[in-house]
Amino acid sequence: MFSIEVNNLNKTFGKFVAVNNISFKVKAGEIFGFLGANGAGKSTTIKMLCGLLEPTSGDAIVGDYSIKSQSDLVKKNIGYMSQRFSLYNDLTVKENIRFFGGVYGLEGKELNQRMEWILKTANLIGKENLLTTSLPGGIKQRLALGTAVIHKPKIVFLDEPTSGVDPISRRSFWDLINELSAEGITVLVTTHYLEEAEYCGNIILINAGNLIAEGNSKVLKTKYLQNPIYEIQCSNIVDVMELFDKSEIVDETSIFGNSIHIITNNNFVNENQIYAELKKLPNIQINKVEKIVPTLEDVFIHLLEKDKK
Amino acid sequence: MKIILNIIKKEFSQFKRDPKMFGIVLIAPVVQLLFLGYAATMDVNNVHILFLDQDKTETSRNFIERFESSGFFSIDYYAENYDELTEQINKANVLVGFVIPKDFSKNINKNVTVKLQAIFDGSDGNTASIAAGYITKIISEYSQNIVMDYREKKGLKVLPVGQISTEVRTWYNPYLKTRYFMVPAIVGLLLSIITLILTSLAVVKEKEIGTLEQIIVTPIKPFQLIIGKLVPFIILGFISVILVITMMNILFGIPVRGSIIFLLFASFFYILSTLGLGLFVSTISKTQQQAMMIAIFGIMMPMVYLSGFAFPLENMPQILQYVSYLIPLRYFITIIRGVVLKGIGFTDLWQETTILFLMGILILLFSSLRFRKKLD
Amino acid sequence: MSINRILAIAKKEFKHLFRDFRMLSILLLFPVFLLIVFGYAVNFDVRNIKLAVYDQNNTELSREFYNSLISSDYFQISHFIKSDSEVKVVLDEKIAQCILIVPKDFSQKFYSKENVKVQFLTDGVDGNTATIIQNYVNAATASFNSQKTNHILEQKGVKSYIPFDFQPIFWFNKDLLTTRFLIPGLIAMILVIVAVVSVSLSLVREKERGTIEQINVSPIKILELLLGKTFPYIVVALSNAIFILIVGYLLFDVEVKGNLFLLAFTTIIFLFTSTSIGIFISTISDSQQIAFTISTMVSLLPSVILSGFIFPIESMPTLIQILTNITPAKFFIKILRAIILRGVGIEAIWDQIIYLLLFAGILLMFASKIYLKKENI
Repeated sequence: MFSIEVNNLNKTFGKFVAVNNISFKVKAGEIFGFLGANGAGKSTTIKMLCGLLEPTSGDAIVGDYSIKSQSDLVKKNIGYMSQRFSLYNDLTVKENIRFFGGVYGLEGKELNQRMEWILKTANLIGKENLLTTSLPGGIKQRLALGTAVIHKPKIVFLDEPTSGVDPISRRSFWDLINELSAEGITVLVTTHYLEEAEYCGNIILINAGNLIAEGNSKVLKTKYLQNPIYEIQCSNIVDVMELFDKSEIVDETSIFGNSIHIITNNNFVNENQIYAELKKLPNIQINKVEKIVPTLEDVFIHLLEKDKK
Repeated sequence: MKIILNIIKKEFSQFKRDPKMFGIVLIAPVVQLLFLGYAATMDVNNVHILFLDQDKTETSRNFIERFESSGFFSIDYYAENYDELTEQINKANVLVGFVIPKDFSKNINKNVTVKLQAIFDGSDGNTASIAAGYITKIISEYSQNIVMDYREKKGLKVLPVGQISTEVRTWYNPYLKTRYFMVPAIVGLLLSIITLILTSLAVVKEKEIGTLEQIIVTPIKPFQLIIGKLVPFIILGFISVILVITMMNILFGIPVRGSIIFLLFASFFYILSTLGLGLFVSTISKTQQQAMMIAIFGIMMPMVYLSGFAFPLENMPQILQYVSYLIPLRYFITIIRGVVLKGIGFTDLWQETTILFLMGILILLFSSLRFRKKLD
Repeated sequence: MSINRILAIAKKEFKHLFRDFRMLSILLLFPVFLLIVFGYAVNFDVRNIKLAVYDQNNTELSREFYNSLISSDYFQISHFIKSDSEVKVVLDEKIAQCILIVPKDFSQKFYSKENVKVQFLTDGVDGNTATIIQNYVNAATASFNSQKTNHILEQKGVKSYIPFDFQPIFWFNKDLLTTRFLIPGLIAMILVIVAVVSVSLSLVREKERGTIEQINVSPIKILELLLGKTFPYIVVALSNAIFILIVGYLLFDVEVKGNLFLLAFTTIIFLFTSTSIGIFISTISDSQQIAFTISTMVSLLPSVILSGFIFPIESMPTLIQILTNITPAKFFIKILRAIILRGVGIEAIWDQIIYLLLFAGILLMFASKIYLKKENI
């Protein structure tokens, strides 16, 4: 049972191809991660799925409706929260909720119930009459999410909902997303915090408008990155990186804080080859060489590098 | 309907939050009315004049006296020589330098024609020509007396023919105050500013801060959004119309002679077109700055100039007169002057009213479609 | 004060301007467009007034009389009225702007040496035009009278005597074209829009977006910031002024009689004053909407209405005349007219220049006081 089915979706602006023939499916009730660098085409795709932009070609079924021919019905059944805070700063919390509730046609008891729910989830009980502009960032985001699902949509699109929010608020924001998902709401979320992607069920990665990987995080880590990956902690990281960049057993290197990850290639047989390479640099001090399970970051850097080539 | 009301309520809550803006919107009409009512006068009644009296006789002083008592002139200088006269005109201290020649009284007595010279600072052509008119009148009245004396001397007390006099009667504005002309038109101006500029700003502002996107993603219908956004400005517009009409009566004693109800209806029709234009501006601007500039330069100013608001349409080149037929404000100003000053109503103004209504509907429809297309 | 920092800001502001191509083209093109519309549309010259004639007499004399009226280009006969009931309709529906009613006994009375009254009804709604028409009609009637009288007297052997030969001489604007008078005012008005409105908006926009804080934490000084921010607008405004002068010369024959350097110098001083108004407005407004409305109210509107641009200041009530001093455009328009139309030098306008400088100084002082006070909170 899929709640979103995207078929060969295309969007071009003049000569610029923003989204290139993307297809994917999202299961009902799952948290679906939509990853990509800035400008990769994430927001454009989401805007098309919400009926804000018309696709150049292709179509998608959101809920049960086509975004091309039934965008009004699509809008009724989705919630959307954009990367910009888009409630009215010059209205109070309550006025904002009432306004958006009203836009979705809620009224009376139902509206009050939903308002109470939003106030509770956003921790705003007793602060209904504060101007929205005076709220801290994390609370604003929770309020925006609450407002985006005020009409209990089956699907909600979150476009970089946590950008610019502190880690603790981000954590609790994800708890809220999990709650929504537990209630059966499909959540499609874009982010560029890769640790957040780990919370998602399925993930797709797009780059320059192209879909370059899909699957859950386990699949991504094993399917797209099959060669062993090692973490080396040592001194003179930069020299070491340059060394492995030239090495025949290594495909890619990347720096993670004070350590370096190397992705081996088919010439690689065992760890000794790494030590042999490291000996070429006489003065370095090696603290650790360890085979690791790749992180999503490893996978994505690998995929993006590959895509670039 | 509920959804529309909901948007209207939201707009008003936002007004409430921004009391400065709201105050300005309410005070602005009054300020404009005062400005235009008191300052915007083309009446010429205080012409600064300088005399270079080379004759310096009783007769010449008598002649100058006539200028003083006419009430149109204020005599600022008596120049001693020509250079002084030139200097004062160059500095724009006086508008007219009047030269009375040396043998002024002598020649009058001898019944010889006297050459009178007046040098005008012609830069303001309008004022100069009106002032020249005043002077001509004073001179011709004075010469009438002299001619009468002359004929009497010749024993011609009764003229061979009757004399024609023109009795000029001015309708609608008996004292020929420019104020009567300007003040009613201000209603049109104000309505344009409030509905056209503020509407486009309000929409573009939501675009800029991203809330428009949040609204569009809801199942709201474009027409609901448009109506909801526009109604508050219609209400504001009406408040200012009523305010101005009341002030007009209190401050300037210009009552509405015709039907106020008809006037309000016509205002409504007019607002349809300005709202449409405002909406149109919002579809072609990305920032509030752009919206303001386009609204002012591109629409408001040409509209004001070509509407007959201050500058008579009859004087314009033919082609501009044709263009003026496309300007809704033109019809509205005709209507409002007609209703306020002449006390005429729909029977006389049905043409203007119908055109205004059709224009309003067309512009609003066109802009809404365009707005809608931009949203989709 | 560091020139480099000012340049950095100015460069950034230029980039904003050029990036926002639409805005730039609006700023550069619309004033010219406005000038063209304005130049042709704005015109108080009274010409081709529609006149309806109700000739109840219908004799050679009555025809001669009204033909003498339309011999100038003041009037054109648009309609002949046939009945009393038509009179009201003609004025109400604006079929004609004035009506001449020649009575039945016109020629009979005239030749039987009786005085006769002709009625002339005008639509007085436009008081200015009506005044001019009224003056003209009276003068034309008088001259018709004396012509006729003198003609007959001369036939009887009495020499006619005209006591005065009045020759008005119009300096600076021989044909009394209003366009010539209005173009200097238009320059002032457009500069006000560009300098006051754009400057206040661009400053408030930084406030709205919070980028002003970023600038405030840098070592830049207020004065440097302001100079840098306003410089590009001054450049735009100056190019506007040049455009307008060129178009004014090509299309409307308005040439600068005075010294171009003096013109440029005084324009820069006026821009300095206008930008200081813009700066002042930006310190008291928190949003672009407010900044826009305030600048329209306190600068744009007064510079159209109170500056003497269109409406002669001398005719305003004394109180309003005093009030006109709040708009620097008043002084600048005086300067412009002096240089462009009359071609006089600095000796005739130095006092206006001092006013402008004083104005700017006081406003900047207030602006920086308010600005600093807000910073401290």
